[in-house]
Amino acid sequence: MSENLPKGPSEDNAFWTIFGYMLSGLLIWGGIGWGLDNWLGTGYFLLAGLLLGMGSALYLIWLRFGRK
Amino acid sequence: MLVSYAAEVGKEEGFNPPDAGDFNLPPFIEGNEFATKPILLVFLSVILISVFFILSSRKAAVVPSKLQFAGESIYGFVRNDLGREVIGHEFMRFVPYLFTLFTFILVNNIFGIVPLLQFPTMSRISFPYVLAAFTFFIFHYVGIRKQGFFKYMKEIMFLPGIPKPAYILITPLELATYFLVRPMTLSLRLFANMFAGHLLLLVFILGGEHLLQGVIGLKLVSPFSFAIGIALTFFEFMVQCLQAYIFTLLTALYIAGALAEEH
Repeated sequence: MSENLPKGPSEDNAFWTIFGYMLSGLLIWGGIGWGLDNWLGTGYFLLAGLLLGMGSALYLIWLRFGRK
Repeated sequence: MLVSYAAEVGKEEGFNPPDAGDFNLPPFIEGNEFATKPILLVFLSVILISVFFILSSRKAAVVPSKLQFAGESIYGFVRNDLGREVIGHEFMRFVPYLFTLFTFILVNNIFGIVPLLQFPTMSRISFPYVLAAFTFFIFHYVGIRKQGFFKYMKEIMFLPGIPKPAYILITPLELATYFLVRPMTLSLRLFANMFAGHLLLLVFILGGEHLLQGVIGLKLVSPFSFAIGIALTFFEFMVQCLQAYIFTLLTALYIAGALAEEH
């Protein structure tokens, strides 16, 4: 299997994967926070969601790339 | 006398900075919403690509002519650097798609700086959307065919070897990445690069034209605006090639990811 792994463009791959995870972290958990704010009429869930999304995206990136 | 661009498109006189409205080209046949410049350019690109590669491969010889060499270089680049390098031993199945994608995007991008055509088709967002949709369905289809639906979904959703509660945080992210962010970034990256590039060229070249119609002092500075416009045209050429490459490279990477079985 290891000889099939991309060699040249793997850094491109890592870059866009990391970018994608950061973006989806902010979108999903930030979106959930924003929805809760709208629903409950509060103002702090958006911030909490963005932080949670950022944190879990970083965690996921560490799991994918930093664990070996 | 010079007819100013503003008068041509029916804006007010004086300098109108170019905006998103400049991308909204009205149909040239009254009432037929499909007879627009971008659609015409897409047809033109298909004809050009077909004619070029048919001509370059028709009289294929062991000692290639210049035309054959040009055609084979492009094909070889996509097959070796994007196909074999990224996807691995099953790459040959995907070369036709990658090759079509690369040449199609490349030619349509370069239309942005070809004199008289001068409109990058991909700056209308529907075109990148459709291309990204193709890639989206292909890489999911490939993954599902290879691993089966449930195994494929399980592989996306559950990264092995992490504590169970962490899945609450991680799984939504993985799903969003594969089903939302990937096609979205793929199409928006191409669209935004072409849109911004075209707008930038419009600013400097129309600005130069407007300065040329001003008083003598303004006439003197207008060459600088044109010079920047020309420099940016070369820069745009680079961006256009790069974006075609990136789109195809990411498509190949997504296909490779769907094919790879992680253990």
